[in-house]
Amino acid sequence: MRLRKPQIAPSAVVWLVLGAVYFLVPLIATLLFSLKDPQTGKCCSLSAYGFILHDPEFWSTIKVSFRLALETIVVGLLLFVPTIYWVHLKLPRLRPVVGFLALVPFVVPPIILVVGLLEFYKDTLDAPFWFLGKPDLFLVGAYVILAFPYIYFSLDAGFRAIDVHTLTEASRNLGASWPTTLGRVILPNIRAAALSGAFLTLAIVMGEFTIASLSAFHTFPTYLQYINESQAYPAAAATLLSFGITWLAMLSILLVGRRGGQRTVRVGIGR
Amino acid sequence: MEDFQEQEYEFLRRLDEERFGRSTLLKRGLATAAGLTIISLPEVALAARAKALADPPIRGTRQNLKAIVAAARKEGRLNVIALPPDWANYGEIISTFTKKYGIPITSDNPNGSSAEENQAVVSLKGDPRAPDVVDVSPTFAVAGTASGLYARYYVRNYASVPRSMKDTRGLWTGDYYGSVTIGYNANVVKTPPKSFADLLKPIYKNQVAMNGSPLTSGSAQAGVFAAALANGGSLSNVGPGVDWFAKARAAGNYIPVETTPQTVASGQTPISIDWDYNNFAYVKEFPSANWKVVIPSDGQYGAHYCQAVSATAPHPWAARLWQEFLFSDQGQILYLKGFAHPARFTDLVARKAIPKSVTSALPAAWLNSKGAKFASLGQQAKAKVVINTEWPAKLGKS
Amino acid sequence: MVPFFAYAAMFLILPAATVMIGAFQSADGGYTLDNITGIVKTENIRDAYWESIRISLTTALLGGLFGLMIAYAAIRKGTPNWVRSAYGTFSGVAANFGGIPLAFAFIATLGTIGIVTQLIQNVFGINIYQHGFAIWSRRGVELVYLYFQIPLMFLVIAPAIDGLRAEWSEASANLGASRWQYWRHIGMPVLFPSILGAVILLFGNSFAAYATAYSLTSGTALPLVPILIGNDLSGNVFSNPHEGHALAFGMFVVLAAMMLFYIPLQRRASRWAK
Repeated sequence: MRLRKPQIAPSAVVWLVLGAVYFLVPLIATLLFSLKDPQTGKCCSLSAYGFILHDPEFWSTIKVSFRLALETIVVGLLLFVPTIYWVHLKLPRLRPVVGFLALVPFVVPPIILVVGLLEFYKDTLDAPFWFLGKPDLFLVGAYVILAFPYIYFSLDAGFRAIDVHTLTEASRNLGASWPTTLGRVILPNIRAAALSGAFLTLAIVMGEFTIASLSAFHTFPTYLQYINESQAYPAAAATLLSFGITWLAMLSILLVGRRGGQRTVRVGIGR
Repeated sequence: MEDFQEQEYEFLRRLDEERFGRSTLLKRGLATAAGLTIISLPEVALAARAKALADPPIRGTRQNLKAIVAAARKEGRLNVIALPPDWANYGEIISTFTKKYGIPITSDNPNGSSAEENQAVVSLKGDPRAPDVVDVSPTFAVAGTASGLYARYYVRNYASVPRSMKDTRGLWTGDYYGSVTIGYNANVVKTPPKSFADLLKPIYKNQVAMNGSPLTSGSAQAGVFAAALANGGSLSNVGPGVDWFAKARAAGNYIPVETTPQTVASGQTPISIDWDYNNFAYVKEFPSANWKVVIPSDGQYGAHYCQAVSATAPHPWAARLWQEFLFSDQGQILYLKGFAHPARFTDLVARKAIPKSVTSALPAAWLNSKGAKFASLGQQAKAKVVINTEWPAKLGKS
Repeated sequence: MVPFFAYAAMFLILPAATVMIGAFQSADGGYTLDNITGIVKTENIRDAYWESIRISLTTALLGGLFGLMIAYAAIRKGTPNWVRSAYGTFSGVAANFGGIPLAFAFIATLGTIGIVTQLIQNVFGINIYQHGFAIWSRRGVELVYLYFQIPLMFLVIAPAIDGLRAEWSEASANLGASRWQYWRHIGMPVLFPSILGAVILLFGNSFAAYATAYSLTSGTALPLVPILIGNDLSGNVFSNPHEGHALAFGMFVVLAAMMLFYIPLQRRASRWAK
């Protein structure tokens, strides 16, 4: 019975195909539009793509946004992984509190968050310009908060799925320190969740517009919005290019994550 | 060397304000030269320099223009906000300014709203990236002055800007105005609409759109005004305008899709009620849409935008130079090229200052149209209240 | 824990509090309840809250269901690994796809001259717009919102599905249980807390969505709370920051209510988790 390679279930195929259709059709519509010739309005021309790819703003803002995304991922994981680990391990009572905090960034629409942030840092704290003027500091600070709900729920589900107490006990009993426990025992087990959180953070930063715009920074989303409001065919091209680029970036994060370690410590029930 | 220059500017400015005669000038000149030598001591000079740089002129004149240019060049940058390149030809205005004076311009948030402009002045106060100048709708100009956001500055050509388009305290000045037009895609729309009454005909089903909602878009609000004028209302009574849109929606003609470049190019919004400068810009931008523009025969409404200098501008001299440029003949004609009537239009026409090459490229009917009505600030405030309550009520249910 | 709470305080709580306090401030600087009572009294604003809640619930539940189904289909045993990577990474991008590009993608698909609209017209002879469909109606907006809700669900629930050990389903099959029994007694209870959390997340995400809705409906066809806030804070016509702050406070209340609903349910559900 175990010799046969597992086949894909038919119901799975149905759902996957339905999903693919729903998600691909609007993209195809956008693609068709992006291939139109600006003079005649009919197929087919690559001028829209040429417009975007030859625009130096496109390249400079992509670099900025990627950089911000990586910084946000690093800061976010550094901050949240130990925190959620600790909550799961020692302070389960704090779970609802942290969970509630994780919902607050949703409730506060970006436009209000940025007004609040600017008011708070400028008027109340009179923060210096090396903080406010640098997207790597101010924007990353805000983006980590925006990514927080996503990272939290991913990590929470991930931690829930492993047996935190047993793993920690085992590791500590074997003489490992806390950092070693966290880094070499726990982390590999929640890798999928952490990667999931990282993807989401990347997508958020590559798609966040309001805060960047109102704080007068020039990021990739502000560039995209500008193109969308002033150009027709290049806007569709830019949309697809940004979609494709972000997707490729995620695939590369995935590959890096995969290569990072094949060992997974599994402590399960009934083995 | 620099310190001397600061003193000179300060001196020239005061001179201009007090309008000295020649002899007094000479006398004072000698005295000042002596004084300048003394106060060129470093600490005093630095303090005086800071003061001079902090006191740019209140009034632009032929004499201090050179000083303004030099000081602006030294500041080395100008921050503008919410100026899309294809709106009233701001693209060409910005590049011409930079080429003429060698001052690079940072154009932030090009599609920002007037509210965001004022907000940026407040939020970014003290930040070198804060906007130096704003171009806002009159409602926000008033709000900005009430909050003390603007600095007083009378441009050199202040006198030739119509009375109704400027603030007497010099806190804002109207730079250009536009009127509501009907733009349409001649490939899709076979029978050109000529008026608001026309647009209610069944042949235009699913075709009429605006540039947003009148609750948030100045252009759409103007559309409601124009519809009011066409539908038996007036500048003080825009209710009929809202009613017209309700009727158009019920008939299925008005679709609540925001007009964007994509919707124009794709034909999704074959008819768009929008400012003349926007509709005319589409003609050249989207040849595939075969866009044509018509001034509605039954409802002609116009409104102007307002230039103001930020009171906390990081580059106050460059800000004033920008004002001077915009209100100069050259700047005003650049607006005209972008299909926006410059504020000093009447003056330019009277002095025959507009080159034939420019006028021949513009539609004559639009160029000389005089029928547009302008609402006063009071009328606009009243209209906002009406729109705020009636628009969601009459059009909000889908 | 300290760094976490310190960070949350600096970048979230205090700025948010600044705004919430603003909800109670009046134009002259004093404190007042007028902003709040004002928005409760206005029928249009009550409609907007109701509409926002309605759409958010629908897209949260539908997005949760479809996301769960697709995630399970992609992750379960038997499905090749590349499917999961492809769908997972695509979801990452799609979850943040919104605003004008998303709105236009759907207008190009299902607008009055969209490709699918025309396809249906040519193949079936039915003009959906004549039958009451419109991309800017509530149904249309919900359909478009699902484009980022379903991927979000996928991303959040995937790690939880990973936690459903293959051994459990094998063991239960060996013991003679049917698929349905497996799900009822093992699968769902394990997944339920995560599903619940995810659905709440989707609700909040949908409630706060602004740019997509504005672009689709031009801020006119459907009253929605974020659009009202946008009108008050960043439009070209009005400026009513106090009402805007009060509206934001209202959003906060709605979500706090959801949380109150969620906590006891979650406690009950997590009894099954271990």
